[in-house]
Amino acid sequence: MPGSHPSCAGVTSGGAKMNYMPGTASLIGDIDKKHLVVLRDGRTLIGYLRSVDQFANLVLHRTVERIHVGRKYGDIPRGIFVVRGENVVLLGEIDLERETDTPLQKVSIEEILEAQRVQQHEKQEAEKAKSEALKERGLSIPRTDTLDEY
Amino acid sequence: MLGPGSARRRGPWRPRDELASATQELGATSREMFALGEGGGAALRSLDESPIEEDEEALREEDHDIDQFNEDTFGTGAVEDWEEQHEGLDDHAEDPDDLLKENNLAESISKLVIDSDLEDPAIMRAIPSNPPLQAPPRLNASMWDGPMVFGGIGNPFLSHLEENRMLSGSKDSILPKRPALGQDEERDLSDRAPPPRSTSPVIGSPPVRTAPIGTPPKHMSYLASQQPSILCPTPVHVRAPIHQRFSAPFNERMSPTQLLNLANSSLRAHHFQGGVTQMLNPLLLGTAQQTGRMSPSHFARMPGLVGSQLTAMKANLLQSRMGQMMPPVTGFRPYFSPATAGHLQDIRSSQSIFRADTTHLHPQHRRLLNQRLQLQNSRNQHRGLNGSAGDRHSRGSYHEQAKKDPYGNLMTQREKEWVSKIQMMQLQSADPYLDDYYYQNYFERLEKKQAALDLNSEGPKKERTKLITPQVAKLEHTYRPVQFEGSLGKLTVSSVNNPRKMIDAVVTTRTDDDETKEKLVRDKRRQTLFTIERTYSLVLEVQDLEKKFLQVSEAERPAVLEQRKSKIIQMYENLRGKQAHSTERVSDDHFVQIMCIRKGKRLAAKVLHLLSTEQAANVVLATARNLPYLVKKDSQDEVLPCLTEPCSLLVNRLPSSALTELLQQLTGSAQSSQPGSQFPSILQNKFGLTLFYVILSQGERLQSSEAASELMQDNRWTELVFAVTRELLKVPQASLAKPLFVPTNLLALFSHYVDRQTLNVLESKLQLSGKPR
Repeated sequence: MPGSHPSCAGVTSGGAKMNYMPGTASLIGDIDKKHLVVLRDGRTLIGYLRSVDQFANLVLHRTVERIHVGRKYGDIPRGIFVVRGENVVLLGEIDLERETDTPLQKVSIEEILEAQRVQQHEKQEAEKAKSEALKERGLSIPRTDTLDEY
Repeated sequence: MLGPGSARRRGPWRPRDELASATQELGATSREMFALGEGGGAALRSLDESPIEEDEEALREEDHDIDQFNEDTFGTGAVEDWEEQHEGLDDHAEDPDDLLKENNLAESISKLVIDSDLEDPAIMRAIPSNPPLQAPPRLNASMWDGPMVFGGIGNPFLSHLEENRMLSGSKDSILPKRPALGQDEERDLSDRAPPPRSTSPVIGSPPVRTAPIGTPPKHMSYLASQQPSILCPTPVHVRAPIHQRFSAPFNERMSPTQLLNLANSSLRAHHFQGGVTQMLNPLLLGTAQQTGRMSPSHFARMPGLVGSQLTAMKANLLQSRMGQMMPPVTGFRPYFSPATAGHLQDIRSSQSIFRADTTHLHPQHRRLLNQRLQLQNSRNQHRGLNGSAGDRHSRGSYHEQAKKDPYGNLMTQREKEWVSKIQMMQLQSADPYLDDYYYQNYFERLEKKQAALDLNSEGPKKERTKLITPQVAKLEHTYRPVQFEGSLGKLTVSSVNNPRKMIDAVVTTRTDDDETKEKLVRDKRRQTLFTIERTYSLVLEVQDLEKKFLQVSEAERPAVLEQRKSKIIQMYENLRGKQAHSTERVSDDHFVQIMCIRKGKRLAAKVLHLLSTEQAANVVLATARNLPYLVKKDSQDEVLPCLTEPCSLLVNRLPSSALTELLQQLTGSAQSSQPGSQFPSILQNKFGLTLFYVILSQGERLQSSEAASELMQDNRWTELVFAVTRELLKVPQASLAKPLFVPTNLLALFSHYVDRQTLNVLESKLQLSGKPR
């Protein structure tokens, strides 16, 4: 390794409160804490972050997929998730004390799935209508299927 | 086709031959046979080194025959010559570790083993505990051999041998050495039990598992009870049972793969009764303290040990490991806690355990599996260590954590450090200000703020934890393309660094007369743009140099200054154009071209700050001279006001003569004594008017400050001011631009030159008294 090896000022050896990479964004300090992760395909996962690696691949434990429709949300328990780092849009720690402090209303899984289906349907209808209208006017917007869109 | 090893079997090895043929019947390919032979061969290879002369000659001959057969079957090069490969792995030299003198002991023990009759485990049990005392050093050796913990003692050894035979053949190059230890025992006992071979006929496929992967150990309890006295189980039975016989330290976090493997190895270990077990325990304790090289993997084979004993030993292990640092880790010593140093040894020791079912795999597959298992194993072991050792440590936090969160610390400290290490490596850079500009700037600002706060508070300086990223020297990597030896001609291998040339792109210039004129114009504009870009880079470089200047030592500072100076000269030349003759005035053309472009104006503003007064004055003069034209060009961009600040700064430094000239140029009255026709247009422009005011203001300042005013002595100034005042009166108020600021002393200036009435008019017109419009 050319040059001197990296050193981390302020590191206490061995203790539980190790200051990993102060001044930088590192996921090491977030381990074993409850996180909310938004993926590129629009899914929202909530789980305990158990393991990370250099690519920010995540291992989530006791994961729950939360679906939001309007002011309602529903949780689907999923178990253990291993997420490839490149698919993560953002993630943030959940404050356990304030976790339930939401104006949103929790509903059952069936209900939320139904609501989601309805929402998707409506979106598709709107999209169809829009493209029809454009076609009538002789315009066409190319569909961006490959982009992260949700 | 039989593998090289199989042919050597004669006499006591006959059963093996039978097995070999049996396997063939089963449909195993010869490849597998070879693999089987590999294991045996490797085990037997050391035979050549051990002092057994009977078969040496014959063996070598057989070797040659077998090799020939193999070549016939598989073709040259198809079969890896593991013997050659493993040549280097063999520990020919004396083990530098003086503590153990393992080779000597190994030999003595091996002799012991040969002497004793190891046919029957029952007999083994009856052997008094003399041999055990010599066994301890073998423990070290058994790191490499895995299962052979207690050489010459009892069944664990016995039963492990077949495995070891298999395992030894599959040594990877990862293992630096493989001590030549009592492989003779293997030879003797190789017929005790058939090797744990899978019945899978396909090379590379995972071994057949009687339990599906992922089945937790609990489901296997019924099998354990069935076979308490199996001495030489058939391969099929080997896999299934024995999971439960693991002692406490092996928590449920071990993968079923590992559990199965462990079961494999420890199966035979279970055969001995309590007496032997008791023999083993003190031994273990003794060895742990002595050698300090025992790894938890050894505990796997000591099923009789109770959990508490194990943990005590593990505590010992931890301590003994403290003193050892592995060479590959030296570069990051501060990163790795001492406890993890011995980890690499664990890998090696555990490597052999889990190879039981991988012998029939393709070597590449085997290696990959091993590596994966290593990682798993190390993780598990560490976890196991943490789990048990952590409890013993008086760290309340860990204990609490474990209590509250049973799944906590799945990621071990070592793993966290590993990831951190990688992230730190990514931060190393040759030029942090280039690679990580925003981070550096942000932290500098933070520190300044903090320093300011500290100064104010004057309290104890808080130690802020700061990430120190080292500056790595920039290494020049010259890429040398891959060259093959022994190939005819130069083979081209395309890679990321030298991609294959696909297209022959040739630049062709069009010589079309029609396009010439447009092309010229285009080219000229392009030239100007290039000049602007180059000058901008110079500005950035000068900024960097200024920063460097502050950081560099005293000795180097002059050099930095020199560099800066030369760059500034270059900048000036770029801006104004090169002077053909020193006396001849440089044409403004080049400069005007630059100033027509938005970026050029901004550039001029930046450069003005760096130039000397004379040079800057030159630039501003040129600007003033051409201002009407520039104003016209700037009508869309409106970027000229950016020049206000540097210009005003300069003007305030100007002596009277230069000032007069500047005013002259500005008003366009250089040739004639009257302001040019373009002058009103300047007044209508924000920048123009502001500059104008600034000049006047400076003039007033000079006038009022100097005792014998130079300014007044020069008629030109007075005339100019008169002329300008007239113009101002002429210009309608509506068309006057709104200046960026109105200097306060203009009123005073005008009062010198005009009467009261006019002054009032001027005042109201130009809003000189500062009243809002």
